[in-house]
Amino acid sequence: MRSIIASIAFLFAAAGPVFAHAHLDRASPAVGSTVTPAPKEVVLWFTNQLEPAFSSIEVRDEKGASVQVGKAVVDRSNRTRMSVPLKSLPPGSYKVMWRVLSVDTHRTQGDFSFRVGP
Amino acid sequence: MFKNSWPLAMLAVTLAASTARAHEIVGNRFFPATLAIDDPGVTDELALPTVSMLKSGDVPSFKQMDISGEFAKRITEDFAISVAPTWSRLYAPGGLTMNGARGFQNVETLLKYRLFKNDEHEFVMSAGLEIEWGGSGAQGVGAERFNVYTPTLYFGKGFGDLPASMNWARPFAITGQFGYSIPGVSKVVTATVDPDTLEQDIDTEYIPRVFNWGATLQYSMPYLKSAVVDLGLPDFINRLIPIVEASFQTPVSNTATSGTVTTGTINPGIIYTGKTYQFAIEAQIPVNRQSGTSVGVIGQLHFYLDDIFPNTLGRPIFANNINTGRPMFGR
Repeated sequence: MRSIIASIAFLFAAAGPVFAHAHLDRASPAVGSTVTPAPKEVVLWFTNQLEPAFSSIEVRDEKGASVQVGKAVVDRSNRTRMSVPLKSLPPGSYKVMWRVLSVDTHRTQGDFSFRVGP
Repeated sequence: MFKNSWPLAMLAVTLAASTARAHEIVGNRFFPATLAIDDPGVTDELALPTVSMLKSGDVPSFKQMDISGEFAKRITEDFAISVAPTWSRLYAPGGLTMNGARGFQNVETLLKYRLFKNDEHEFVMSAGLEIEWGGSGAQGVGAERFNVYTPTLYFGKGFGDLPASMNWARPFAITGQFGYSIPGVSKVVTATVDPDTLEQDIDTEYIPRVFNWGATLQYSMPYLKSAVVDLGLPDFINRLIPIVEASFQTPVSNTATSGTVTTGTINPGIIYTGKTYQFAIEAQIPVNRQSGTSVGVIGQLHFYLDDIFPNTLGRPIFANNINTGRPMFGR
């Protein structure tokens, strides 16, 4: 039994740095929040570092029109952080859709909404 | 009396020994590995250990502890093979001699293929064939000499596609399984000689075909935080998934000696999901006298090998080059 436990411990020790899937850790504006004034960008923080070429954010209004300015950018100094600038947002509900590839090649995706108050 | 209840003990052993588990990500949804039933996930993982303790529904009842493990390996992105040994200890008056017993159950293997996955509706379905290898375990703890084949359908559905007016319900998800166990033999005949009268006694036990079915209802705090509303709760709370599992076995044919009573347990519990592992603990509430005589407990430590060894052990043997994946949103 001890040898089995030792073997398992060695196996996990040999795994090196653990990366894991990139899940959404937090966001600005916060998930499900109502904000005033309108944000100038959406910033997402993930639980793992991202591959910039295969990671993106799209922000749409209630009619499905894109309200972002340009493409999402992964922060070079902190690759868990990705942001995208926004147009001037009138009050309403907005949906953020993200899709990322972590540095260990796992794909994940998700979406959430926030509101801009009057 | 005990001899006549042995088929029920076998059902209980099957119930306790079924430790094949998985986890799965479908769109926004993370389906955790579950304990009482298998979920539709096809991935690389290690469940070690799973420990359960339950007083059996036999007459007389006895306490049984199972310690099991499971290793699952993807061959392709959608196809995996797993192997699951279980060590059991039956406390007196359990076992063939009623003095207790200990030893390994028959080894189980599972071939599972993901049939369908829809990210938008958080729906996934898989099919599997579980094989219990007869003769690989100790007869003293009830391991039979014949194989048992169980083709099974698995599904998972998250409710993230509900309208915004039902935001409170979007973290809910259900999973389920429907399997049909087919023993390799239809009956086992045992001949015994009475030492006093020297008369031979022939005992015939018919091995039933069993419908294995179950479901889980789970509420994902990680989903609530990342997809519905971030309430600013402590990180520990945001990693919890309260869950209720239900697992049942219903003999449906060849039931002359087993009877047709459905046995099973309902398991309320909680799962803590870490970055590369999860820990779960559940109570096991027998649904009737034949399923157990007191509330049991089951716990599991489960490792996500696809996260721990993403470039070696944790990826399919025949994998696509994921790095060349399709750019998103038309880029």
